[in-house]
Amino acid sequence: MATVTLTNVAKRFGAFEVVHGANIDIADGEFVVFVGPSGCGKSTLLRMIAGLEDISGGKIAIGGKVVNDIEPADRGIAMVFQSYALYPHMSVEQNLSFGLRMTGNPKADTDRRVKRAAEILRISELMDRRPKKLSGGQRQRVAIGRAIVREPQVFLFDEPLSNLDAELRVQMRVEISRLHKELGATMVYVTHDQTEAMTLADRIVVLRGGHVEQIGRPLDLYDNPDNMFVAGFVGSPKMNFIKAHIVGRDARGVVVELAGEEKTRITQPLAETAPEPGSKVIVGVRPEHFGGAGEGDADLTVAIDVVEHLGGTSFLYARTANGEDVVIQRDAAKVPDTSEITVSIRKSYLFDEKGLRLR
Amino acid sequence: MRNRNATAYRFLTPYLLIFAIFWVWPIISSFLISFQATRTVPWRFAPGFNWGRLIGDPAFFNALKNTLLILVIQVPVMIALAMVMAVLLNSPLLKARGLYRFAFFAPVVVGEVAYSAVFRLMFSLDFGVVDKLLNSIGLPKVDWFSNVTPAMALIMIAVTWRWAGYNAIILLAGMQSIPEDVYEAATLDRVSKLKQFFYITLPLLKPVIVFCAVLSIIGTMQLFTEPFLITERGGPGGGTETLGLLLYRQGFRSLNFGYASAVAYTMAALAIAITLVQLWLTREPK
Repeated sequence: MATVTLTNVAKRFGAFEVVHGANIDIADGEFVVFVGPSGCGKSTLLRMIAGLEDISGGKIAIGGKVVNDIEPADRGIAMVFQSYALYPHMSVEQNLSFGLRMTGNPKADTDRRVKRAAEILRISELMDRRPKKLSGGQRQRVAIGRAIVREPQVFLFDEPLSNLDAELRVQMRVEISRLHKELGATMVYVTHDQTEAMTLADRIVVLRGGHVEQIGRPLDLYDNPDNMFVAGFVGSPKMNFIKAHIVGRDARGVVVELAGEEKTRITQPLAETAPEPGSKVIVGVRPEHFGGAGEGDADLTVAIDVVEHLGGTSFLYARTANGEDVVIQRDAAKVPDTSEITVSIRKSYLFDEKGLRLR
Repeated sequence: MRNRNATAYRFLTPYLLIFAIFWVWPIISSFLISFQATRTVPWRFAPGFNWGRLIGDPAFFNALKNTLLILVIQVPVMIALAMVMAVLLNSPLLKARGLYRFAFFAPVVVGEVAYSAVFRLMFSLDFGVVDKLLNSIGLPKVDWFSNVTPAMALIMIAVTWRWAGYNAIILLAGMQSIPEDVYEAATLDRVSKLKQFFYITLPLLKPVIVFCAVLSIIGTMQLFTEPFLITERGGPGGGTETLGLLLYRQGFRSLNFGYASAVAYTMAALAIAITLVQLWLTREPK
């Protein structure tokens, strides 16, 4: 098992920089998820750790040893690919043992490792099948098995569940979590799905446009986002952003008035110097932080467009008087029949015009 | 739906008519002609006349032997060479890739007569560049056109030159359809490039290799231009006469269409038989 340390890691394709000096420390045995939208550089970062992409700048160390110039096979890593990358002409057993056989590993040891991996992933009965005779979930297990037999210090997963259907994705997510507990290995996992990131990670690295936006434990990112991007990316449905401006200060903090809602003023305790009165800001409210009328700081009346019933809870897609879209989460029992609803804002976040958190 | 089909067939009618007259009918007709004695007027039905002759004709067996010899030596050599060319074309280290691709493919586009004339010049005993080269490195000159073995070698060299690039392009297309991440997975598994080629590329390319081999076998069974033009009608002394050439000689020089048709059907049957055997040998295990 090993730590992974990225120091000022950069990647350029010609003049185009896709990763701008990433600094990430991954502890021994930690499960870290790189998450971000398409093109944010998360897969590139993972492939640089694997050695499949050259490093244009900075240093990557695995287990304390700088691996910039070390061959992929010698880095003590194993990777699970999005497309599984199984050898189509080989049986499951051959897929698992191929690497070990080719490098002259003793047969007894190869057999032991393959048997163990098959047992861990419960694919022992599939050993004679070719990949095309396997379901998506089974292929994914074989791909993970191929990583396990290498007995690596670090497992790298590149969007391993994105080709599976929703149900199987949940199942494999649990499976990967179990695997992490069982093997205790360091795991780095790339996904664009924030639910996967929230459920799997010990810590999440949120990336955007090749920059690390924030690193933290899932609930820390959820409760305490550094900026609007992280706030919007973590949590589903995403946080609502409502335009507002600073009105002044009172004993509890800075007072903010929602745009077009003269009566809706909320007070935010701010430690830092608050922006000048009149400055434009953005108020972020998570769908679950809307309460019933009078329960919070201020009330807000919105027009309901669509109601989505999920069973226990419902989501109300609504508009403020100023025409801004908001999503409100409510108990299914508390959804009114009316076309309007008055809600309170129980908890909110404040962002400046550039999207940085004010706190 | 039926209406649409009828309309489609009406559009296809001109083509289908031409196809039937100039393609289907000659196939049927030549089959019928192969059962007729065509050296008499009028032609008469005599099933044993041509087919019986075929079995005992030394010229037929000479042509068959030559054709099979070219097939057995030239096709594997050409496909191996095409594979090497495809690997080189696929290499990320290669510069001016488009130029090489064009250069490899160009021989197919060159007219057969022109290329044969150039080959005759290049291999000429008196002023050919090949013999000059051989001489310059201390090897004796070879009279390519007067001896059977060099003449056969020349045919094989010419056919290989003409078709290796074509096959290389097909193999290259096959190689490029193998996903990159399979190789990346192998690289992470510490599998060397050479082993990746033998254990991943070759097995995954098998259907494409079989396709190239089948095309080449069919082509070689019909080989005509090179022995006709380069070694001057299968010379020396029928030493490079192929089945295609025998067919031509019988049909269009001796005007013995019955026998030529029998040879043609034998060529087609052999090509099908060899191809079937090959497909059976290289079938996918269940």
